[in-house]
Amino acid sequence: MSKVMRIAGREFASTALTKGFIIGALVVPAVILAIIPLVGILAASAKPPAVSGRILVIDRSGEVLGPLSERLSEESIRERRQEAVRRAGEFAAGALGGMGSQLTGSTEKALEQIPVPRFTLESLGPDADIEQAKGRIRAQLNAEGDIAPEDRVLAVIEIDADAVVRSSDADAFGQWQPFFRPKLNSEAVDEIEAAVAWSIRERRYAVAGMDREAIRELDSVQQRAAQEITEKGEQDDTSGLTSLVVPVAAMLLILVATFTGGQYLLTTTIEEKSSRVVEVLLSAVSPMELMTGKILGQMGVGLSLLIIYNAIGIVALIAFSVTGVVSWQLVLAFLVYFVLAYFMFASMMAAIGAAVNDLREAQSLMTPVMLFSMVPYFFFMPVIRSPNSTLSTTLSFIPPISPFIMIMRIATPEPVPGWQIAVSILINLLGVMTLLWFAAKVFRVGLLMYGKPPNLRTLIKWVRMA
Amino acid sequence: MDHAIEMTGVRKTFGPKVAVEGMDLVIPQGSLHGFIGPNGAGKSTTIRMIMSILFPDRGELKVLGKRSAVESKDRIGYLPEERGVYKKMKVGAFLAHMARLKGHDAGSELTRKVNDWLEKIGLPDVSRKKCEELSKGMQQKVQFVSCVLHEPDLLILDEPFSGLDPVNMRLLRDLIREQHEAGRTVIFSTHVMSQAEQLCDHIVMIHNGQKVLDDPVQTIRSRHKPEGVWFEPYHADREQEALAAVTGVPGIAEVRRVDGRLEARLDAGVEPSEAIRLVAQAAPMASVELHRPGLEDIFINIVTGGSASADDRAQLRAALRDIGGDA
Repeated sequence: MSKVMRIAGREFASTALTKGFIIGALVVPAVILAIIPLVGILAASAKPPAVSGRILVIDRSGEVLGPLSERLSEESIRERRQEAVRRAGEFAAGALGGMGSQLTGSTEKALEQIPVPRFTLESLGPDADIEQAKGRIRAQLNAEGDIAPEDRVLAVIEIDADAVVRSSDADAFGQWQPFFRPKLNSEAVDEIEAAVAWSIRERRYAVAGMDREAIRELDSVQQRAAQEITEKGEQDDTSGLTSLVVPVAAMLLILVATFTGGQYLLTTTIEEKSSRVVEVLLSAVSPMELMTGKILGQMGVGLSLLIIYNAIGIVALIAFSVTGVVSWQLVLAFLVYFVLAYFMFASMMAAIGAAVNDLREAQSLMTPVMLFSMVPYFFFMPVIRSPNSTLSTTLSFIPPISPFIMIMRIATPEPVPGWQIAVSILINLLGVMTLLWFAAKVFRVGLLMYGKPPNLRTLIKWVRMA
Repeated sequence: MDHAIEMTGVRKTFGPKVAVEGMDLVIPQGSLHGFIGPNGAGKSTTIRMIMSILFPDRGELKVLGKRSAVESKDRIGYLPEERGVYKKMKVGAFLAHMARLKGHDAGSELTRKVNDWLEKIGLPDVSRKKCEELSKGMQQKVQFVSCVLHEPDLLILDEPFSGLDPVNMRLLRDLIREQHEAGRTVIFSTHVMSQAEQLCDHIVMIHNGQKVLDDPVQTIRSRHKPEGVWFEPYHADREQEALAAVTGVPGIAEVRRVDGRLEARLDAGVEPSEAIRLVAQAAPMASVELHRPGLEDIFINIVTGGSASADDRAQLRAALRDIGGDA
């Protein structure tokens, strides 16, 4: 056992105590975390250019121009933006708790930096020729540089005569149509379209004798922030976190840790084989001891990553005053399913590493392994939405993807039947033993085989030979 | 006392290819055995089976009295033909790691031994250098140290001299002799038969997976008597006269030039001491010496049944010298 641990120790040290790993595992996430607020600041400071110009309006109904002018005024646009942010903040606070409130604060600050467009409405009268109006945009396209920004025609709006008051012989209201200059800022387009639609609706209410304020009040249903009742009292609702963020994060963490360890295992095995140090090692330890040591060493690397990233996650949750999202049962399940997933994928990686001569040759044998790793991505939405559906339950019993599916199911608020957890662990243990057995055979024969890279049939031949 | 190695009827195949067949071998403790044979003869496969890196399909094998080398790996030092180092590891750390894998205790004693050995092989300042910073020859010496650092009872060296310059070859030869004199059993394989002749006290010749010779060097020498006399005429400008004179000596079958040297081949049954006397008297000579068959000649005789023509022998000899490894 001491030799296995010595191999594991060297494997861990040669991977985790290198500049490359430390930079990859610690510095890169730290830099990303540091960059996120910086990006916010930079994005805010890189203000988009203010949009200003004329909007030509042909209001054949004679009803819309008034409210449209008011709606597209600078002051009105600014007020609406603030209101939208306030509502988004309320929603985020409901879904993500304290984290949501903090996000809203920073979004408000960022939005303040975005300039409000300045539109000048020019009414062409109800009988104006639409082609003439469009011609004014066309005429300006060839002389962009000579036109002052406020004189640029941004759009032509044509509103049908019966857009507000339906004709007695028509089944529906009339329509309206915008014509924009090319490459107009999309926010400006949205703003104009929403304002016209709003103005037409407002006039329809008025003509129908309805009180628009009364309708708005009737439409508006206010909700106070949702609360969760826990043993210790009440706290902001975390169902958004527990039903979406935590399951996906748990699955991704296991996936990242498993594949990081597995990838390093593949690389070091190929390195030992290609540098011919492997036969020297085999004079001191058996192939099984060597493989076990390497797998354990790289498991240490995967676990280190898990500990680092989990610690960051837990610190973040505490910082945002979110508690009760991660239970000890989840942590335990996390460790169990990580170990099971890791052993299965590491066995495959060790076998592939021993079988090939260089990383390039490993690619073709890696394809089925990579396909397995994609499965959790394909199914995470249906599994999270219905953790106890037939699909979720079936996927839970198929190694080697089972650990990723199970951890997502366990992390959701919906309880997973205990027998399914027990059966999935048993099936995965069987998977681990089968793959270790296969890998040990390939490892033993493959380590000393050089030359033509093997295909699956050759690997099976080696297993029979060993 | 147990033998270092005992093999009985060992057979190893790789698919349809028979790598080793019917190998019976006994290597006593404390001996210095040379495995010789050309490329693909089965030397490395035999050694890998001794090391339990490969396992025989059939037959029995005992190493240091145990049923397999797995049980006595810590008592064996092994330098494989396909050898390497951890390139990014420091030399001292690499040697300590290998020694600890062989059961050596960690600590200052191990550090001292590593430094002593590095000094002994002429690399006193490399302990903190990365292995990849060393030349191939230096790496090879470091690898040799990794085989002996844990003071094994049995030392197995597969083609230990390949890639070394003459100075380092001599150094390694001296170190191998030193290990042997310290009472260790040493087995080494080589395709350069002269190296085995210089170093070993026992030769095992392998050809096509089978043992074709297994004798002490002295026995081989006495069994294979000289077959000719090498001579060098004193007057280089009168070589033809000297050749004619030697050709007429009774008991001389033919005179020929082999590898740039003149050789008078003896008739069967001629006493070599008498032949050398007669050749020396036939013409003025700068030097005259008996041509004892080397291992190379003996190998060629064995594999050809002694019936090869001079050209065939020359071709075989050239082939033996060209090859660089074993399977």
